[in-house]
Amino acid sequence: MGLAFQTDLGLDARLRHRAAIEIRGLRKRYGAQEVLRGVTLTVERGEKIVLCGPSGSGKSTLIRCINGLERHDGGTIAVNGVDLDADGRGVQDVRREVGMVFQHFNLFPHMTILENCTFAPRHALGLSPAKAAERAMHHLARVRIADQAGKYPAQLSGGQQQRVAIARALCMDPKIMLFDEPTSALDPEMVSEVLQVMEELAAQGMTMLCVTHEMGFARHVADRCVFLDHGEIVEQADAERFFAAPESERLRAFLNQMLR
Amino acid sequence: MSFDFALAWDSMPALLNGAWMTVLITASVMAVGAVLGFGMCLVRMSRNRVLAAVGAAYVAVFRGAPSIVLLYLVYAGLPQLSIVRDTPLWVLFASPLFCAILGLGLNHSAYVVEILRGALSAVPPGPVEAALALGLSPRLVFLKVRLPIAVRYGLKAYQNEVLIFLKSTVAVGAVTIADLTGAANEIFSMTYDPFTPLVTAGAMYWAMTNSLRLAFEALDRRLNRHLAAGVPDSRPATARRADPGSALFRRLRRSPAKPAE
Repeated sequence: MGLAFQTDLGLDARLRHRAAIEIRGLRKRYGAQEVLRGVTLTVERGEKIVLCGPSGSGKSTLIRCINGLERHDGGTIAVNGVDLDADGRGVQDVRREVGMVFQHFNLFPHMTILENCTFAPRHALGLSPAKAAERAMHHLARVRIADQAGKYPAQLSGGQQQRVAIARALCMDPKIMLFDEPTSALDPEMVSEVLQVMEELAAQGMTMLCVTHEMGFARHVADRCVFLDHGEIVEQADAERFFAAPESERLRAFLNQMLR
Repeated sequence: MSFDFALAWDSMPALLNGAWMTVLITASVMAVGAVLGFGMCLVRMSRNRVLAAVGAAYVAVFRGAPSIVLLYLVYAGLPQLSIVRDTPLWVLFASPLFCAILGLGLNHSAYVVEILRGALSAVPPGPVEAALALGLSPRLVFLKVRLPIAVRYGLKAYQNEVLIFLKSTVAVGAVTIADLTGAANEIFSMTYDPFTPLVTAGAMYWAMTNSLRLAFEALDRRLNRHLAAGVPDSRPATARRADPGSALFRRLRRSPAKPAE
């Protein structure tokens, strides 16, 4: 093997292997309370990670730090190679790459479903209204809600609203999607319609970081499950091992609580 | 004492003249209040402590002072300063109408500051965060998400304040302006009949406040149509046609995407 070939491969591999999200030693405190105590986590491109843990363990804070909705106090975050400073530089670049879905949907209540989806493409990407609408209808069809495009969020069910929220994020062509307990605020019968959309998204190769307690979803979709407790990653493993053979006492206790 | 219909009819032109002045002042003060109120609200809510203190002082002074005192201060007090009297500013301050609009506008805008501030604070963080997460600039998020939602929250309180200040415009008589009440008083002093002109003027005030109320209710329905569940697009057909998305929407509705559920 020639040396040149090796260097080529090295460079190529380095570019290709730049992780989607690289978090090192992340710290965050609210006043005296430390919510993240040195979290290190790498999400590879195309990887699907499920993040779980008891309430107050810092899961939401962790993913909210990734797109700068919370400022971190220590450690580093890099998204697709863009560094996110603690003082907020790089945040707009990162937000272009990362879509987010919230527990309470957070649709814009005064805009129609279509306007919800065209708002950011028009104003952040500068798309023409027609182009933005075309893109929005494509993604609304993808989450099977195109026929509701003229309605307002208050006229839709929770499950429908959450699917719109997913479409709205997709309209910005994100490389990475963050989900913050996307099904926790839904009536039980609406959970599956949202999970199905998320599974389809996963199947299409989206990089996903999901805070969720949906074990079925974790088993089907997750490449890796991460357990967070008291602001630290306690254990991470593939879904099968994570649920069937947890190593740490804390994860065992948590899973017992959930199954009860 | 009885209502003299003939006198009421005869005093119509004078009263309508006065009513026009009341409408003019009310509309101008609303405009001043909207501009000053919005600007001072941003100052009041500034993260800069000095600016925020300036905003708080503005509210404390102009909301605290009775509007008639403000009118006197602007009309009779400010011209004591040579910077007002001996400069082109004098052109403005020599006009009772300008002084009335400024004096009432300062008072009204202080209320607007607090109404808008309360409404902005009541906007839930969720939609704002969602807009930021989509990569929109904080400025745009404020103007297109937080402010429109806040306006809907604050509309009722604002309506209250407008109706109250419309009736308090009677204070402009203090700076020699003949408004509706002034006209009624004039007729009273000429005819020695207090009842007829004042009741007629009262009916005109009632008509004004209720027209405003109806206008506010129409605006409220228009702004909050998103809350009226089950009512799809109620815009006129021309507006719907102008919306490029709706054509696409109609096309898709004719041949819907196959639902996999």
